[in-house]
Amino acid sequence: MYKSTGFISFVLRRFTGMALVLYLFMHILVIGSATQGAAAFDATLAVVQSPPFKIMEIALLAAVAYHAFDGVRLLIVHYFNVIDYRKSMFYAAFAVAAFFTAVGGLLILQALLYHA
Amino acid sequence: MPDSQPTTATVRIQRFNPDNDKKPYMQDFTVPLTADTTILDALHTIKAELDGSLTFSRSCRHAICGSCAMNVNGRNLLVCKTPLTRVLDGKGRVAIKPLSYLPIIKDLVVDRTSFWAQYERVKPWLIPPDNMPEKEFRISPEEVEAIHNAETCIMCGACYSSCQVIAMTKEYIGPHALLKAFLRVLDPRDAAPGERLADLSGEDGPYRCHTIFNCIDACPKNLNPTQAIETLRKLAQKRLAVEEARVERQKTLALPVSKT
Repeated sequence: MYKSTGFISFVLRRFTGMALVLYLFMHILVIGSATQGAAAFDATLAVVQSPPFKIMEIALLAAVAYHAFDGVRLLIVHYFNVIDYRKSMFYAAFAVAAFFTAVGGLLILQALLYHA
Repeated sequence: MPDSQPTTATVRIQRFNPDNDKKPYMQDFTVPLTADTTILDALHTIKAELDGSLTFSRSCRHAICGSCAMNVNGRNLLVCKTPLTRVLDGKGRVAIKPLSYLPIIKDLVVDRTSFWAQYERVKPWLIPPDNMPEKEFRISPEEVEAIHNAETCIMCGACYSSCQVIAMTKEYIGPHALLKAFLRVLDPRDAAPGERLADLSGEDGPYRCHTIFNCIDACPKNLNPTQAIETLRKLAQKRLAVEEARVERQKTLALPVSKT
């Protein structure tokens, strides 16, 4: 195993990518319950709006934010000659993703605590 | 290195003899240490004085043959040019393993068959133009500058065995061979850049790189295979234009550069 910032970024990118695909299937299942009628849809929605799912939503946000900004980082590497800054760019992508996760996570928690 | 210079160092070496061992194990050796002892010196001392069965490859001892690339404390480097003091931890220890992701033949020697097979696959030799100049090729300083870095690769395998894609599949051409392909594609003397780029456009070529950058960090010659791979990706998308430009350029290869 050859560990480096690039390696960590690669592993995170793969895991978040797979997580997002799994989420997509779950999302389709939830929305698909609408074909069973309004009552079934409401029941499914009630489940995914429960506190455990809200907490998982923060993890989903983290995965989306990291995957997106790591993708932006890679696009910059592809189109500009910035390889000398490869480590800083990885930290930047991570920091921006962490920032958006923190802000979004706080909003989700706030909604959970005060509007439940 | 601590203030009071220790006179010995502990070298932990991964041992593996396929005849007797089921899996590799670590073995400690204590070697004398001076400020100018290299890691290779330590390996020589062990082989000559402590355990003659220790197996490793080395040749030139001048960081140019590429034989002695090994994994030291998790980093690939040339042991002949690295002082032992630079890699010792606080307790005077260092861990030496063979290059990762390659089959071990014995101790620190790995099987580089896939490495050389991929190298051969990119046709690393120069394909000369039909109209060879009578005297010499005339190439501008800018053209030399563009490929100079890639020319200094010593084929040590440090980049290849640090690559995570190589860890997953040996079908990938690999940073060493792609750097060589880059060298030939950009060389004004080479007559087949289009053919080379077409060969590289498959799924095992530059598009398979995951931009992990391990190759840059591992290279003992400070080369930049990732940038070469990025360049190949861009050139492969305009292969015909590259081919036409090369045909034009080769019409003036024998003329002084100032007139081109």
